[in-house]
Amino acid sequence: MIDRRLFTNFDWTLFGLILLIAALGVFNIYSAAASYTVVTTPYFIKQLYWILAGLFLVVMICSIDYHMLEDVAFWFYGAVLFLLVVVLLVGKTSMGATRWINLGLFTLQPSEPMKIVIVMTYARFFSRYPVFQGLTLRELFYPVLLLGGPALLIMKQPDLGTAILVVLIACSMLLYVGLRWTTVVSLLLAALPSIYLAWHFVLRDYQKNRILNFLNPERDPLKSGYHIIQSKIAVGSGGLAGKGYLQGTQTQLRFLPEQHTDFAFSVFAEEWGFLGCMVVLLLYLFLILWGLQIASSCNDRFGSLMAVGVTAMLFWHVVVNMGMVIGLFPVVGVPLPFFSYGGTSMVTSMVGVGILLNISMRRFMF
Amino acid sequence: MMDRREKWTKVRIRLIGSLFVGAFAIVSARAVYLQVVKKDQLLKLAEKQHQKIVQLTPGRGDIYDRNKAPLAVSVEMDSCFAEPRSIEDIPAAAAHLAPILGVSRDELLKKMRGSKNFAWLQRQVTPETAQKVRDLEIEGIGFVKESKRFYPNAEIAAHVIGFTGMDPAGLEGVELKYNSTILGNTGYLVTERDALGRDVALKGMVVKKASKGQNVTLTLDKNIQYLAEKELAKAVLESRAKAGIALVMEPQTGKILALANYPNFNPNSYSKFGPQQLRDRAVADSFEPGSTFKVFLVAAALEEKVVTPRDGFNCENGSYNIGGRTIHDTHRYGRLSVAEVLKYSSNIGAAKIGARLGPERLYNYLRNFGFGERSGLDLPGEASGYLRGRTQWFGVDLATISFGQGVSANAVQIATAISAIANGGVLMKPYVVEKISDDNGTVLQQMTPQVRQRVVSPEVARTVAKMLEGVTLPGGTGTNAAVDGYGVAGKTGTAQKVDPVTHGYSVDKRTASFVGFVPVDNPRLTILVVVDEPKTSPYGGVVAAPAFRAIAQQSLCYLRIPPEKELKNKPERIEVKSPAVEEQQAMAAEGTIAEAGEGAVMPNFRGMSMRQVMQTMEKRGLNVKLLGSGRATEQNPPPGRRVGPSEPVWIKFAPAA
Repeated sequence: MIDRRLFTNFDWTLFGLILLIAALGVFNIYSAAASYTVVTTPYFIKQLYWILAGLFLVVMICSIDYHMLEDVAFWFYGAVLFLLVVVLLVGKTSMGATRWINLGLFTLQPSEPMKIVIVMTYARFFSRYPVFQGLTLRELFYPVLLLGGPALLIMKQPDLGTAILVVLIACSMLLYVGLRWTTVVSLLLAALPSIYLAWHFVLRDYQKNRILNFLNPERDPLKSGYHIIQSKIAVGSGGLAGKGYLQGTQTQLRFLPEQHTDFAFSVFAEEWGFLGCMVVLLLYLFLILWGLQIASSCNDRFGSLMAVGVTAMLFWHVVVNMGMVIGLFPVVGVPLPFFSYGGTSMVTSMVGVGILLNISMRRFMF
Repeated sequence: MMDRREKWTKVRIRLIGSLFVGAFAIVSARAVYLQVVKKDQLLKLAEKQHQKIVQLTPGRGDIYDRNKAPLAVSVEMDSCFAEPRSIEDIPAAAAHLAPILGVSRDELLKKMRGSKNFAWLQRQVTPETAQKVRDLEIEGIGFVKESKRFYPNAEIAAHVIGFTGMDPAGLEGVELKYNSTILGNTGYLVTERDALGRDVALKGMVVKKASKGQNVTLTLDKNIQYLAEKELAKAVLESRAKAGIALVMEPQTGKILALANYPNFNPNSYSKFGPQQLRDRAVADSFEPGSTFKVFLVAAALEEKVVTPRDGFNCENGSYNIGGRTIHDTHRYGRLSVAEVLKYSSNIGAAKIGARLGPERLYNYLRNFGFGERSGLDLPGEASGYLRGRTQWFGVDLATISFGQGVSANAVQIATAISAIANGGVLMKPYVVEKISDDNGTVLQQMTPQVRQRVVSPEVARTVAKMLEGVTLPGGTGTNAAVDGYGVAGKTGTAQKVDPVTHGYSVDKRTASFVGFVPVDNPRLTILVVVDEPKTSPYGGVVAAPAFRAIAQQSLCYLRIPPEKELKNKPERIEVKSPAVEEQQAMAAEGTIAEAGEGAVMPNFRGMSMRQVMQTMEKRGLNVKLLGSGRATEQNPPPGRRVGPSEPVWIKFAPAA
């Protein structure tokens, strides 16, 4: 099954890029967690384990032809949707949100694979849909239905960050597929009343607070606005060249919230400054453009759609996370791919990269 | 079909790509805004968040005597603090610390359970205590260096130096008067604070050490100060007096060389002493000067030429009626010259001189001598003394003020006024601080002698000085003040104290004093001794003059001022207890260790000027070869050795550095 040509066509650039970002991540987690008193394995070691596990997944995914996914996409979709319903009914509640299913050995968070699954589902759906003038409002009915179910279920948990990401990933793919101007205008007109409705009937108070506090962080500087203020202070006080590795006062004195996970980039920004930020940002930009290049050079529509979807997933993670860290977006729990500490994020991102590599190495095959 | 599809794909991807790049551009722009534009503001916010400031005792500058001997120094001590939130078991920690720190357990518990996460447990502990606490290795207990004032000479010059409180502000003496100079800027213990409000002081403590205060060098000479204190204590104890003052001053400059009070105190533990001991009587107390005032009266009368030294006064056999009051002398005198009025301290003679001078002029001269206003000495709490306004002099006032009754002055004022006579009639401003310098030895401020005004002409001053010498000559009231080998000008004073209850003169309470200068021809020292309420004898010539003599003799010896006259007494008369080698050499300079026998003993000439050497050699009848110029540096034979008849005697001089 494993062709020698696959090996020669392996996308080492992408692979190396991921390793580089992941290595920077480990390096940064070491500093972020330096002030913690941990008795068990330190976070940066654990992160190394997760990277190894992720790389194993990459190899696994690469060994299967991605075209197979086209056949199983709807099955995956159905399974994850089912798990989301299960979470809603019997899920494990932690910190005010019901996101996990306890499977005895480990806990599963079905909203996370949904990011990949929605890409697969849309790719499967649109690959059979040869339209080149853009989608009409009517043609959007099924895609919205496919997106709406999981998005609402995830928002209900509540997990605003993941829900928004799933929607953004889906929208990016729709944008790739193409929308008619009339569709866009109609959607915008429909959006205003739905935002009103969502505000009053869907969003929880804490979610509303997050949005309000984002708009005006001083509204509650000690509680919900705290994260944004602290992150801005950490990033800004880093200045042009940063305070130096392990020298970030805000980090080392633990003013930063969740500094090894969602706010890992604040740590980096504080200690390495604007120049360091730009290096990381350029690495991600390179990753995104490379992903789009894969999509562009792919010869089948499913593969191209998959590549765009996965790239969009990585892109939105990066932009939402960085946007949050530098106070452009409200605080939603979105990690920075390969960079933040966390197994779930690592697995999702690695699976995404595995798919990209899979598509990339098979670009010359039919 | 394929072409169209491919083209469509490329266009769409390019669209998405540019959207993504645009988003990254916005993120970058935001990063520029935060990290470049708003950097300073956010950095300030960051610092504000994690810095917590605890004030520390600032370091005080040192105080030295004029020979650079330390009088007050600051030593670094450990201060023990607690950070309660870092302590696991507060009651246990309190129980362990209580016996070591000598603080009760409950008090420690109260401190550690306060609302703040920083509490001083005990400040400025001894090194041993600090080590014991460190050995306990309790997390959350730490130390920081703070400076503590230490007075290495204990009681010596305590009243001049003063002392400081726990917050390091000066409370008395030079420490108070020059507090802003000596006190450094407050130090800060900057503990960084993390997001949970815990101090991370134990690992990230920054002590922002402010500059140490400036050093102050006094005009005081520790050795003379010691002599003055020793002799004053002796005088007070021997006469069973209540208190006493001794003051040594350089008449030409107004520099205070010694200022002693009895009883005194140890500034290292000032809190154990009462107001009686802490009181700087020399500055803060004014008293009736008594007969010492006659000096100023005579000087004024001579200057105004209302009397001449040759004038005689009928002293009415010891009893004289004036303005309805009878004035008495202690002995009956007939006709006395002006000099004799001083020598025998005749009140009647003084009253008659005062009558010639008139109240107007007497008042003006007394003001010019500095009475009735503060001398300007740079020590806190000076009393101004009391000289009634000219318009309030009635009846007998002119007469009584003439011999020092009905006026009051502090010791510094009297010594300063006498110094004016010694200084050729020019009144100087007394001072105790010579210079202010920083730790590198750079002089920031150098005080110079300040002339207040000329009071009398040099000729009159000289005449009065000669008259005052008579006081210590045989038959005078101050013979006990005579210093062997030197001419001493001085005046006794015996004043009745005003009873605070009756507001009249007390029957038995006296203030006995002696003030004068020495050597009379080239005055180097003005010395004032005041004994308050002596029990053995009320007379200054009896209780104060011997102390004057002792201080003068030893100080002259210590300062290596060569005697002007032949020594009459045996050397054992000099009791310099201070074992300094220097002083023994100085004694040799005056030949005091010479014994009867053949050949003169070679004095120690080192440091003398050529003129002084020649004067000394002349007295000894030695023929000496002088080499070079400047100050004597080498000599043959060495000091103390007998000079053989044919032995070559030479002294080498080198220019003073």
